[in-house]
Parts: sequence; C-alpha cells; structure tokens
Amino acid sequence: MTTKILELPPNLPKSQNEEAGASKFCPGCGHGMVLKTLAFAIDELELKEKSVFGCDIGCSLLSWNYMDIDTVQTHHGRTTAVIYGVTRANPEAIGIAYMGDGGGLAIGAQHLVNAAVRGEKMLIVLVNNTNYGMTGGQMSPTTLPGQRTETTPYGRDCSVTGKPAKGAEMIAAIADSDKSYVARASVSNLRKLRSTFKKALKNVNEGGFSFVEVLSICPLNWRTNNVDTWARLQTMEEFFEVKEFVSREGL
Amino acid sequence: MTTLEYKGYVTEGVAKGKFDYYVYTELCKGCGLCIAKCPINAKGENCLHWSKEVGLYQTPAVEPDPSLCIGCGTCALVCPDSAIRIEKKAL
Repeated sequence: MTTKILELPPNLPKSQNEEAGASKFCPGCGHGMVLKTLAFAIDELELKEKSVFGCDIGCSLLSWNYMDIDTVQTHHGRTTAVIYGVTRANPEAIGIAYMGDGGGLAIGAQHLVNAAVRGEKMLIVLVNNTNYGMTGGQMSPTTLPGQRTETTPYGRDCSVTGKPAKGAEMIAAIADSDKSYVARASVSNLRKLRSTFKKALKNVNEGGFSFVEVLSICPLNWRTNNVDTWARLQTMEEFFEVKEFVSREGL
Repeated sequence: MTTLEYKGYVTEGVAKGKFDYYVYTELCKGCGLCIAKCPINAKGENCLHWSKEVGLYQTPAVEPDPSLCIGCGTCALVCPDSAIRIEKKAL
C-alpha cells in the first residue's frame, strides 16, 4: 500500500471551506464532528447563501476558516449579541452563534439568557466539553462532580463550586414555547445530531429561536485514549440528559 | 479556483469487493476515534486498525481489513476531519 495523489476528493459538505485543508483542532476534537454535521445540515436545507456564522473565543474560534459561509469572530461571550445584531439589521439572514461552554454559560450567560427571553431569530450552538480546552483544561461551569482538571486537582468539590450548570434546562425554562426549539444532543450519535440541527435551522428559517447544546469530547485535556474518550462521553450523557426540551409545533 | 490535490491511499474491494476505502493522509490526525467506534471491532475482531502509513502529524493512519470490513460507514461518519471516504464501486 503506497501513498499517492487520489483522484477522488474527500466527502466534504459544500458549506465547508475546502481550501483550508485540515482543521486547526486537536486530534480527536469534537468540534470537527459538530461543525461537519452542522455544514451537512445547512447543505441539506440549502441555507448556505443566507447564513451568517459567528464564532467565540476559546477552542471554538479555530472554526474561523472552517465554514465557506460569511463568518465573524467576536469578543469572548459576545457572539450571541453580535449575531442577533446581524439578524436584526438583515432579517433575511440565518444567524448561527457557535460557542463553547465558557462563552455560553460563564462570560456570555447574560446575553444567552436575554436572547432566549426575547426569542431572537438565531441558532445558538453551545459545545459542551466540560472544561476550558484552549487554556489547558481548567474547570468550567459544566465540569462534572469529581472531575479532575488543572484547577481542581482533587476533583470538583460541589460544596465549594456548586453543581454543574445545565444550559439546555435553563434555556427551556425561559424560552417562549410557541417559537423556540431547545434540545441537547451528543456527538456519540451524529445522525441524531444532524436531524436536531435540521429542526433547529428550520425553526430559525421560520423566524424562531433555537438553542442546541452538544455534548462533545476533549481527549487532550481529559487525558483519555480513544476508547476511554467514548466511555467518558457516556458518563456525561448520564449526567446531562440528551433530549428535546422545547419543540414548537410543526417542526 | 484550482482543483485541490489530496494525498492518500486506497484499500480496494472491501466488503466482498463492493466498496473502495479511501484514507486521506493530509487530513488524518491519528485520533483513533474510528477504531473505537467500529462495530466489527466491538465484536472483538480486528477490522479497522493502525496502518504503516502516517497521517498529518506523523502519527499512524488507519486501514481496514478487507475481509472483515462491511462498509457500514461508521468510521467515515465519525471522523472529525473527513479523512475517510467509502465509495461504492461501479458495477
């Protein structure tokens, strides 16, 4: 078996930037899977020309050249605010705010809550990998009880730091059920994730507010090998319930 | 727009000659998530395994066992960098 120039290109979605080459993410990062699935969902609904993609600070900013759609990179936690500014100025646009758990549930929580209360026309994708990956794996709001990170070397102590934040439940409690779609999905089932993104994008296309929290993986900072990574994701799915919380009728 | 060239290798005729299995060495980062997710490996066989070829970061890429692979496409679906393509052979 020898390496040669192949005639057939890889099976990339049309909304993905082919010229960027391999993504900037670490080996085994869940962001690649989430973005690939999101791009396939955009392709399927033919929303590429209308979409605006905003990425946050943190690992999620490495998606700045991943998509072949209009992209803006914003301040930490302000992706929600920038993207609903874009969709208010241009009501035709489909705004996609892409952030990690730090950008959504720590520094950007205020924008997330208020966007959900007002029901802005946008899709928020919150990728939850239970730590701050880019800075070296510190504790984040969603770190599981007892999980070892750089800043919790003896495991997260819930009596000091509180319990992990559950973003989808919080948004489901305040979102308007007549025009919202709130769900939690996981990268362990990418077909399900794709149908979740399709429903969310369809809801945004009809003028609603969508929030999708995706349970993701971080093999480098979890210090897990390929088998343990999937096992760890399984324990995350037991803690964070994977389901649709709010679904507008007719989706 | 220039057409891009992709380096890689092909395992021909997997799943009783029905599919060709493409691996792109400039995209594979050697994370091994596909190996852990392979349904044949889950049964205790050694279908998808490390290759002697190297990927983007000079870590081993993957290759299937042509006699065991069923061409289900789970590895291609789960690959974060789209480094695997399973193409049905024209009959």
